[in-house]
Amino acid sequence: MATINPKFGKNLKKYGGFNFNACYNCGNCTAICSISTKDSSFPREMVRYSVLGVEDEIITSTKPWECYYCGECSTHCPQDANPGELMMSLRRWLTAKYDWTGLSGLFYKYLPATILAMLAVLAGVILFANRAEWNLESMLHFGHLFEMIAIATVFAVILAPNLVRMWYFTIIKAGVKVPLKTYLTALNDLLVHMFTQKRAKDCDDNHFRWLEHLILVFAYLALLFTTVFLNWFGTENLFVIILGYVESALIFIITVDFVKDRIQKKKALAKKSQPSDWFFVIWLLLMGLTAFLVRLFIDINILESNKWMYLFHLMVLAQWALIIVPFGKWTHFLYRSFAMYFVKIKSMKSGVKVKK
Amino acid sequence: MEKRIGVYICHCGGNISDYVDVEKVRQSVENDDNIVLAKTTMFACSDANQNEMVEDIKNHNLDAVIVASCSPKLHLVTFRNVTERGDLNKYTYVHANIREQASWAHADNFPAATDKTIQLVKAAIAKSRTTKALEPTKIKAERSVAVIGAGVTGMKAAITLAEKDTHVFLIEKESQVGGWVAKWKDLFMTEETGDMIVKQLHEDLKKRQNVSILLNSEVIGNVGSIGNISLKIKQKEEEFDITVGSVLVATGFEPYKPKEDEFGFGKVPNVITLPEFKQLIDHEKGKLMYNGKKVENIAYIYCVGSRQPEGGNTYCSRYCCTATIHAAIEARKKFKDIQNYHFTRGVRSYGKQELLYAESLQGGDIFLQSYEDDLPTVFARNNRPVVRINDILTGGKELEVEADLVVLVTGMAPRSNDTVGSLFKLPRGRDRFFNEVHMKLRPVETVIDGITIAGACQGPKTILESVNSALAAATKSYSNISKGVLETDPQIATIDVKACTGCGDCIPECPFDAISMVEDKGKTVAVINNTLCKGCGMCTPVCPTDAIDLVAFSNVQIMGMIDALV
Repeated sequence: MATINPKFGKNLKKYGGFNFNACYNCGNCTAICSISTKDSSFPREMVRYSVLGVEDEIITSTKPWECYYCGECSTHCPQDANPGELMMSLRRWLTAKYDWTGLSGLFYKYLPATILAMLAVLAGVILFANRAEWNLESMLHFGHLFEMIAIATVFAVILAPNLVRMWYFTIIKAGVKVPLKTYLTALNDLLVHMFTQKRAKDCDDNHFRWLEHLILVFAYLALLFTTVFLNWFGTENLFVIILGYVESALIFIITVDFVKDRIQKKKALAKKSQPSDWFFVIWLLLMGLTAFLVRLFIDINILESNKWMYLFHLMVLAQWALIIVPFGKWTHFLYRSFAMYFVKIKSMKSGVKVKK
Repeated sequence: MEKRIGVYICHCGGNISDYVDVEKVRQSVENDDNIVLAKTTMFACSDANQNEMVEDIKNHNLDAVIVASCSPKLHLVTFRNVTERGDLNKYTYVHANIREQASWAHADNFPAATDKTIQLVKAAIAKSRTTKALEPTKIKAERSVAVIGAGVTGMKAAITLAEKDTHVFLIEKESQVGGWVAKWKDLFMTEETGDMIVKQLHEDLKKRQNVSILLNSEVIGNVGSIGNISLKIKQKEEEFDITVGSVLVATGFEPYKPKEDEFGFGKVPNVITLPEFKQLIDHEKGKLMYNGKKVENIAYIYCVGSRQPEGGNTYCSRYCCTATIHAAIEARKKFKDIQNYHFTRGVRSYGKQELLYAESLQGGDIFLQSYEDDLPTVFARNNRPVVRINDILTGGKELEVEADLVVLVTGMAPRSNDTVGSLFKLPRGRDRFFNEVHMKLRPVETVIDGITIAGACQGPKTILESVNSALAAATKSYSNISKGVLETDPQIATIDVKACTGCGDCIPECPFDAISMVEDKGKTVAVINNTLCKGCGMCTPVCPTDAIDLVAFSNVQIMGMIDALV
């Protein structure tokens, strides 16, 4: 028994540009979806739950994460209801629900809040530079230290508890009971999906985008490793230096293509970009670009006279690490793969085979 | 003088000749008595053959022709016309159906099909030998029409007839014109309100000299037949007669009245019908209040009294999906904080009305759907109605809405008062609405000559559809009387007064009340009303003295045909 709650949909509309009121339940979206299956069908079901505001069904569902937004459903919707964007909005809504701090929801719904937070981080960077008395060596040292501390803290304080909340909603609240061993057996799926987004390959028209995304993920993770653990900005090792250049260049090139798509609005998934999408892709682009330039400035020995370049990089990095990673779109990296992990766990419980 | 008959046997392009040896048929009849000419033809109905038939009639001095071809339903009239073009009386034409009755029916046995064809043609020849020329009966027609019911349909029909120089009696039971529409305010697809439309029609009618509007009036008696119908009218306490040539029935519908506890009606608080809801939103101002409480959540339950699985009304009332969506949108626009929940059985907002459905969806109305075997339930909780449904659009999930008001979307039902129907002996369909002769091709005529039907008395209709049928029925009624003279089919029953014993056995058999008893030369005998008789033949077999005979299907003719067949 569920009570219909039309207010849910009104709130959900703050998370994206869809028009589910137009939906007359034809189901073309589900029929056209290349990864929807008989046992786990979407997006119509999710559209319907959203219209009716059956919140319990949505919060316990992993289906929004199972969609990789090829946009076919929106292209074929006879009513222009944009089901693909609705699924995207549900992912934003779920991200906000998983986040115990409530900041995700605030940032998604109110752009000024995001801008204020970004400015606050900028102010922090300037303060930091001031305290370091604009000494480049000191700034580089503490900047590197900051990276490590930020990663550990954000994960421990924000991301880990949020993942536990996600687990609670999708497994415990959904009434799934499985032995501990299942979690271990299914672990393989978690890693595969986290690093390859294997399932997205099943989206019909999506192979190039999948490949771009795959390279971006590896380049990003590798750059993270190169800067944090191999201390790219401080190293003398030629191999590491070149590695960093390649990684940051790849990030820059691919994100430029992504930004271009969002500006051109030709593909369904790029038509309704929300501020969170822009922040994510532009900041990633800036990360690649500024990291590349900082190392270049070091190599041609002009960073000392252009400290602003490093500060700019540090600002981008700090905003990324403190706002976009914990409360923004970055989290889909975790939630998507954990969703597939939980799907696997659920399937092992019921004995139903899930199409990978 | 010997009869000179011509016979044409049709191939029907193979439909007949693929199974029946048409040449053998021709040979086996060509030497029969009275046969002057026997031919086969590829298509008897073709222009070339029709012209050849006309030539043959003249050149061979024929006085009767027979075509053996398809069903007379298809081409009887065609060949009667050919006969007339050959200057013969059209009733001398005889038709033999050798396609449906022989070639198609016995496609598995060619020789038998041929044998049967020969017999059918011989039977037709036997009939043709005794066929006589007939003339249609001519009767005088009154140039006036009675329109019963002064709703939108009746008013529009009356105006149409009045424009044709016909005197119209517009008879209305109530004290004012306009019917249901006069009670409605906002209508779909027009800025005009229901009462404005009625007023416009009324003003038009009042201007016309040849329209008599009889309010507070009922028809209580009906004598006569097409062209000359005498109606007894009761106006309040007064009674008087009018004479008209045709009657147009536009008595409309009644809203379905839910049974006790049907979806909580009369039992659960705040459950009302669509007409009541329409009145409510048309007349409330500011806040929408019901029973002293503010209304925000409104649940509409569709198809109440329509599309009922068994026993009740199985038909779709057509107007209600649109009317409900329209009323719900009006309510949302007029009052604050309204949320509409539509519990449908599939929305049928056909044609332009689909725009309204789209508007409703865009406005945030929620649509749920059930099947007929699992309808929503309405019950009370904390003195509020709750609607529960297994919504098929949500995979059969059980959902509920706590409503402030539940609106039962009641369809159109036929009038429970059957005075007019029984007075004119109008047949009713299984849905108990008045029946037309042919759903598609004769949609406003009834089997009673001179009586037409229009509007919702015939079945659920929108205003537009009612007006369409009003125009059609007015035209049809007018065509009955326009010439001042009527021709009726001469192929009817006749009574041999000498043989008639006046037993009266035939009277109850007649479905058209065409037989009555009169005194003739000192004895009581039956007499046929030529304008009422349809020539159906129901009376002939019951006559103990064979005093009744059917013109063109006389006992002699039938016996002759049987002799030829066996």
